[in-house]
Amino acid sequence: MWVSFQYQDNRRLLQHLHPVAALVYLGVLGGLTLVFAHPLYLLGLLVVILLAIQAVDGLKGWELCLKFTLGMSLLILLINLLVVRAGETVIWWGPRLPVLGELTISVEAICYAATMCVRLLDILSVFYLFNRMLHPDQVLRLFSRFAAQSALVLSLSTRMFPFLLREVHNLQEVLSIRGVDFRKGTGKERLQKYLSLFNLLLLNALENSLETAEAMQARAFASGPRSRYRKEVFRPRDFLCLTGSLLALFVTIYGQIYNYSTFHFYPQLGYLISNTMTLVVLGIILVLLSLPIIISWGWQHCPYFNARI
Amino acid sequence: MPEKIISFLLQLRPDWGLLSMGIIMVALVLFYWRFERYSITAREVALIAALATIAAVSRIPFAPLPSIQPTTFIVIISGFVLGPPAGFMVGSTAALVSNFFLGQGPWTPWQMWGWGLAGLLAGFIKITFPNTGSRGLLIFCFFWGYIFGWTMNLWSWMAFFHPLSWTSFIATCAASFWFDTLHAVGNVAFYWLFGPTFLKILRRYSRKLRVRQILWVEEG
Repeated sequence: MWVSFQYQDNRRLLQHLHPVAALVYLGVLGGLTLVFAHPLYLLGLLVVILLAIQAVDGLKGWELCLKFTLGMSLLILLINLLVVRAGETVIWWGPRLPVLGELTISVEAICYAATMCVRLLDILSVFYLFNRMLHPDQVLRLFSRFAAQSALVLSLSTRMFPFLLREVHNLQEVLSIRGVDFRKGTGKERLQKYLSLFNLLLLNALENSLETAEAMQARAFASGPRSRYRKEVFRPRDFLCLTGSLLALFVTIYGQIYNYSTFHFYPQLGYLISNTMTLVVLGIILVLLSLPIIISWGWQHCPYFNARI
Repeated sequence: MPEKIISFLLQLRPDWGLLSMGIIMVALVLFYWRFERYSITAREVALIAALATIAAVSRIPFAPLPSIQPTTFIVIISGFVLGPPAGFMVGSTAALVSNFFLGQGPWTPWQMWGWGLAGLLAGFIKITFPNTGSRGLLIFCFFWGYIFGWTMNLWSWMAFFHPLSWTSFIATCAASFWFDTLHAVGNVAFYWLFGPTFLKILRRYSRKLRVRQILWVEEG
């Protein structure tokens, strides 16, 4: 189940962007989902995010986000409907409860809760895109320039993770060869078997960490500035994606300042489209955010375009 | 224009979802920046990474069980034995690395904060009360199950509920009460089962971190 949340190189352009361009694009997408409360803007963002997910061949695994959102939506709906009393258009009066007071359900609360469910789906989808678009090593390499020690701890830990998972299976095998059957025995006996497995795993991991430290020292760890063997190239496509993301951010700030992209739910619902600028600003933001997706399409289908960027 | 910008900032202020995420990110950056200022040995780096990996890996077998995970107790013991900075690094790294495999989400910075803080506070407990025994750590493990849950609830409360009120926050915490209770009870059970051995092993390895250099000068 978790495999779909992990990075898989599908040889797509979005997966080969410069980490700065990719992080800014994802950061802008994530930030905008939290800035906007306008239902049309959140739905528009969802469309762009889904197109980006499609561009990295990840639409199949995205169903998990949808399932998770459905589960959480129930909670968001329930609490917003039962607790929030700021709406004026009340459609149901319920009994008076000891802690919650008089139960009322308003149209405003329903609309707000539904919009927040879309926001949740947007946020989860952005993080899903992050998982599919950026390899952890790319991010760690980028941060190792500013925070060498922290990036090294993270990098070592990421490397050790699959190794330690294999180690659990290896130790289980060794113990079962020696006659330890993890499926047999009373609860207490089985617990003791797992206890010894955990202790062995801990001892092995700590012993290996000392060996790693010796290897690091042999390679002159902390004796001078950190060596870098790989240099990420900043290509025209990265410049285009970065410009598109930053322009989208500026247009968002403009839209928020002049209230073209804002929407108020309480005490009464505002107009979904208050003037034509609401749609114009939305259109510009969506086009700018779709720029990496359009470039990705061109990169895949047009050899000349591919060579130029 | 300046009035428009001020009104925009005032308008942004109630958007606590964005603001709280920003605050958590800044706090994490500050902690990592502080960690960068320490001169750290290769042994310490490798040990912190190994403990963070153990804490991260231990999430995998328990992933299908809601809120039961040994990560919290491993982070607390690490912080208690190795000190506040190492405790914070073990906790925050465990959250980030395990989510590289389980899936990153809006919960990642909050988990990094929740577990990082658990390790940090455990380290401070050791400094402030050096004689803290198993009973004290058991109580800390139990209460951190709830504090971790409330920390995680904070963001969902701020991002998805409006207007914010104590009633809606209590309702959010009430919805997660059984999950938090399972987490708290799980922490106690893990500490009770694995804690004493883990403490003993980790203390032994923490002593190995301290290396004394003896300068040998030959006469003549």
